[in-house]
Amino acid sequence: MSMKKLVSVLLCLAMVLTLCVSCAFAENSGVRVALCVAETLGDLGFYDSANEGLKRLEADCGVIGSVVECKSDASMYQVALVEAAETNDIVVAVGWQFWDGLTAVVPEMPDTKFIFVDNGLDGVGDNLLSIVYAENQGSFLAGYIAMKLSENSTVGVIGGENSETINNFIVGYQQGALYANPEGRVLEPIYTDDYEAPDKGKEAALSLYSKGADVVYQVAGKTGLGVFEAAQEQGKYAIGVDSDQKYVNPDVIIASMMKKVGDSIYTVISQYIADGVFEGGTIWEADMSTGLVGLGYGDENMTQQVSPELKAEVEALAQKIIDGEIVVESTR
Amino acid sequence: MGDIFNILLLQNTLRTATPVVLAALGCLMTQHVNITNIGIDGMMLIGAFFAVVGSYYTGSWVGGLAAALLIGILLGLFYYLFVIRFHSDEFIIGVALNIFAGGLTIFLLRTMFGVTGSFSDPAIVPLPTIRIPLIEQIPVLGPLISGNTLLVYVSWILVPVCWAFVYKTPAGFHLRAAGEYPDALTACGKNPERMKCLASVLCGVLSTVAGAHLSLGYLTMFSQNMSAARGYVAFACVIFGRGNPPRVFLAALLFGFIDALGLRMQKYIPSDITSMAPYVVTVIMMVAVVLMERKKKKARA
Repeated sequence: MSMKKLVSVLLCLAMVLTLCVSCAFAENSGVRVALCVAETLGDLGFYDSANEGLKRLEADCGVIGSVVECKSDASMYQVALVEAAETNDIVVAVGWQFWDGLTAVVPEMPDTKFIFVDNGLDGVGDNLLSIVYAENQGSFLAGYIAMKLSENSTVGVIGGENSETINNFIVGYQQGALYANPEGRVLEPIYTDDYEAPDKGKEAALSLYSKGADVVYQVAGKTGLGVFEAAQEQGKYAIGVDSDQKYVNPDVIIASMMKKVGDSIYTVISQYIADGVFEGGTIWEADMSTGLVGLGYGDENMTQQVSPELKAEVEALAQKIIDGEIVVESTR
Repeated sequence: MGDIFNILLLQNTLRTATPVVLAALGCLMTQHVNITNIGIDGMMLIGAFFAVVGSYYTGSWVGGLAAALLIGILLGLFYYLFVIRFHSDEFIIGVALNIFAGGLTIFLLRTMFGVTGSFSDPAIVPLPTIRIPLIEQIPVLGPLISGNTLLVYVSWILVPVCWAFVYKTPAGFHLRAAGEYPDALTACGKNPERMKCLASVLCGVLSTVAGAHLSLGYLTMFSQNMSAARGYVAFACVIFGRGNPPRVFLAALLFGFIDALGLRMQKYIPSDITSMAPYVVTVIMMVAVVLMERKKKKARA
């Protein structure tokens, strides 16, 4: 091989390597990853964030991805997991609904790696890694901002259902709001009992706004899209959830509490591809220090209701939470 | 209790009831020609989708409404073709329509807009909100009567219009005859099938307009399955009101009221129970209707 050829080959290699820093040596890994979501994509939040993570893995690490939507069909959960496990190396289950299914399927499929997002399930097998998020810590910051921007010191929150995970958002939010103003009022949360009904979200939000809230935090998936419509109609504010939702309606969404589901999936799988480390049998708690929960304000081109000073305050609060100076309540 | 029983509760009632009222007015047309149409829900969903499509591409709510009307006529003719012409089972066709609507809208959502689950865009123009200058200032009634979206008023007008059509016009008489005793209508030289076709098309149009109200009036977006079983509630209202438009309207209002009340009672009752309330009331309503009918028959005998 001539010197020239060698140099060009080396250069090419170097370029390729820099392109996939996160997945060194693993380009076109051919790892098959299936994403099982309990409901449907299109919530512009939780599930879509997970899907985003999968797409990035496809682009960066040569993962062959596929998505199974269970459409809230309870009979699908276990079947989807089994089918996905048979043809894939890694199965990512998104949604608490997979709890029973995973308990049954994981021990039967030792050759497949499972990742359970949003719930801590352990003792099932070494091939299952659970990821839980400190949504209460992120929601604390959301509550703080909500109260700071509220003119009549009254804020509200809408939950998709009365469950442990959703209430984990709510307790953090309430604590944060009262931290900003101990005299302020956090209205009784409204549960829509439906993650897929924007109309119910809108009604719930209208009722909170009418009770004096001027900022409403939505923790209700697709139902929450109706909250933004209500805010628009009433000229009030709303806070998004899971993804940075500001782009949906920059005029009313002041910030979003991001739970970077996609990033966490990306981190775990790309790490596995790069050096084969998979911490099965454990629960990974993605708290504020991991950067996987926190606030997002859209990009600079969008109207910013939150002042740079307030953003700095929030930054300082986040540091306090990381340092343990502020302990955020949790339902877990 | 003041934070529950106030004007906002009534406003919420109206908003929740309107799509049900519109769909129920459509449903009662087919009910009168003796067709049990349970495909209303699917028609609503398709209507909601095409209203958004029309509004998005023409940049005007008129386009959205026109698209919903057009698709309503097509759906009505489709229903007529299968149920009346080909004598298929009305239940099977109704159920098929509902399932088909769910699949079709999801499929079109992906192919036309490249999104999954929901579609909202600033280019979707909502139906106009109408403010009535003087009435607006009346204390309690003002905020109820004024400031609603276009189709709310349309539904109010349609209730007496439908009543007059069904009970006071020759066409309405023929319509009911086609359901109750088609042979008599044939003997008069009228074609019962034609009346059934008319009822079917009216049902399609009113159902898709109800859908348009959901996606362009109530919200400004399309979300999969956004009809959320309202078609079935509309059907229940028709049975409860025995096909009489004003009674059906009241039944829909009752449903809306329970729904709105449920949302506000969460402070006192767990949300799992409050979200069941509208359907529990529907069941109770049905039982009440049966009991009332029985009593009447006894009284006659």
